[in-house]
Amino acid sequence: MHCKICLQSIEKDTTWSTLFDFRERTLCSSCDEQLEKNQGPTCKKCMKRTEEKLCSDCMFWEQHFQEDPLDRNVSIYTYNEFMKETMARFKYRGDYEIVHAWKDPFQRAFNKYFPKESQLLPIPLAESRFSERGFNQAEALARLLEQPLFAGMIRTGQEKQSKKSKWERLTADNPFKLTETSPETIVIIDDIFTTGSTVRFAAQVLKDAGAKSVSSLTLIRS
Amino acid sequence: MNANPWSPRFSGKRLLKNELNLSESVFQGLLTKGYLIEIPSIKETLFYLECQRCHTRKPSHFGKIPTKTIQSFSYQNRPATNSITYCRNCIQMGRVSTNEPLYEWNGPIANLPKVKQPSIWRGELTALQSKAADAMVEAIRNQSKILIHAVCGAGKTEMLYRGLWIAFRNGFRVCIATPRADVVRELAPRLRRDFPSIEMAALYGGTQETDINAHLVVATTHQLLRYSKSFDVMIVDEVDAFPYHHDKSLPKAVARSVKESHALIYLTATPRLDLKIASRLKQLQTISIPLRYHGHPLPLPKLSQVFKLHQHLQQGTLPKKITHWIDQRKAAQRRFLLFVPTIETAQSLSKKLDIPYVHSESSNREELIHHFRNQQYEALITTTILERGVTFPSIDVAVIGADHDVFDEAALVQIAGRAGRSADDPDGDVTFFYNVKTKAIVKARQYTELKNLEGKKFKKEFN
Ligand SMILES: [Zn+2]
Ligand SMILES: [Zn+2]
Ligand SMILES: [Zn+2]
Repeated sequence: MHCKICLQSIEKDTTWSTLFDFRERTLCSSCDEQLEKNQGPTCKKCMKRTEEKLCSDCMFWEQHFQEDPLDRNVSIYTYNEFMKETMARFKYRGDYEIVHAWKDPFQRAFNKYFPKESQLLPIPLAESRFSERGFNQAEALARLLEQPLFAGMIRTGQEKQSKKSKWERLTADNPFKLTETSPETIVIIDDIFTTGSTVRFAAQVLKDAGAKSVSSLTLIRS
Repeated sequence: MNANPWSPRFSGKRLLKNELNLSESVFQGLLTKGYLIEIPSIKETLFYLECQRCHTRKPSHFGKIPTKTIQSFSYQNRPATNSITYCRNCIQMGRVSTNEPLYEWNGPIANLPKVKQPSIWRGELTALQSKAADAMVEAIRNQSKILIHAVCGAGKTEMLYRGLWIAFRNGFRVCIATPRADVVRELAPRLRRDFPSIEMAALYGGTQETDINAHLVVATTHQLLRYSKSFDVMIVDEVDAFPYHHDKSLPKAVARSVKESHALIYLTATPRLDLKIASRLKQLQTISIPLRYHGHPLPLPKLSQVFKLHQHLQQGTLPKKITHWIDQRKAAQRRFLLFVPTIETAQSLSKKLDIPYVHSESSNREELIHHFRNQQYEALITTTILERGVTFPSIDVAVIGADHDVFDEAALVQIAGRAGRSADDPDGDVTFFYNVKTKAIVKARQYTELKNLEGKKFKKEFN
């Protein structure tokens, strides 16, 4: 077996705990140690690391939308240096296999926080990015879970997020459109939760179309 | 002279579409003309896959990307296969996959102009350097193979000059491949200075330089993965060094990057077994240079056994023998390098001795080396990364924990070779501190004795 991040072979160490553990190991201990879990205290809604109960971002969204379309966000890791390098290889070099490194933590987080009847919506990728990369990283993550995927949303326009200021990002036009009716219970899947604007734009479209519960599971809270 | 404007850029290369950096219409035009040909990136056989860029065959180096996904359905036509296969081993150079082929130039070949006066260098070679230089000229003329086995500090670079001169005058394309970027950075400016009328490209991960039919390419071995049938003369520096030695795909890359008839020159101070055997069997002509350019013998490593050395290091204490050695250097105002086996030891010793340390992942590696060279630091602690190539004129060297696995014979010989490099100060002190005397330690010392004996004999014959 080989580590999905660094390609080193993983030695089979048999201890009492691994003897009864039949999950396939996808990470070596060195890479595993360098990943940092996104732990509390965090905002109860979006898991931003803060002492406050509700962070200033979430407060802003409540004011902006009257009612925040996103019920909650769960994120697994922080965006530390090691994670930045790993994501660069995953997304910009297009090393798809890395996604399998997150399989176990991603499944565990889903089972712990979200209802079984949820459908998954991977955030659609802009077409230019998709053809460069050959895959949508959000969909790659969603495929780690054995849940039905919702394919009824498209991304219009090709805005480049990183060039805009925070304010511009928060108030830009909503880039998402539904092509099918929305399911009732939906979990949005994405790689990184930064300001939450992308996930909330998608959530707004779903709520407007009658979804009852919209939350998100993201790999990283930056 | 060039039959096609694109030919100088693409002759002898094997590149990805985005590395070609052509507009879609020009790209399609060159394809239909047959000037560019498509090479499938991943060769599939019954028993294995092989990447056609890095030549890996390890199953764990290949990954899959599913194609029947919801996003692909909204943007693409129904894909023919369930997944594409790509190479993870060389993905740092851009992804190659069953969907992303490589391209080679198949159009008119760009000829290199012959350079009448390639060099302004007026230095003189020693008798031994001259012997190696002439052998290399011979190999270039005959398009054959030789091994130049020269001790550290023999003046390797100057030995190449006569051969390079002949090559450029004949319009040959030359590559000097070395395993370390540090060496490219040190070598390139020297060659630029001494061969000013030559087009040259220095290539290593992170440079912006491009090779547009240059006379001379100085590159890390990994950069060869972008070449195919390109060079008339290939000089492989430090053939014994990692990664050339460990990575079987790199010899394949060397073989691919040369033209059908070519000269191949191996340089090393410490040949590995395979080359030694080939040389004994006279399959590989070998030139031995046992003397340094300044004619003084190699410093003989002193052996110093320290009881429980590794326990000391683990507890972060230093045995008396070692602190004594350091104090002696300080008293004599000698600058020194301390080699240690691991990054952890480097860190803890650095704290204890208040001496900066450098290792392969130091972000300020170049800066640290630069400061030591400028004499801003009196001492530097290092892992094996400074074992080769990088030279400092007048230093002493100690290996702390010379019995550790990372210090094989070649590593110890190379490390000892850091001392006594300058003619004004030809005898540096070299000391190996160890608990258990390993075969590598014994052999490294024997190597030095043998080379010094050979050198003495040669000197007698010549005087
Ligand atoms: Zn790993
Ligand atoms: Zn929040
Ligand atoms: Zn490859």
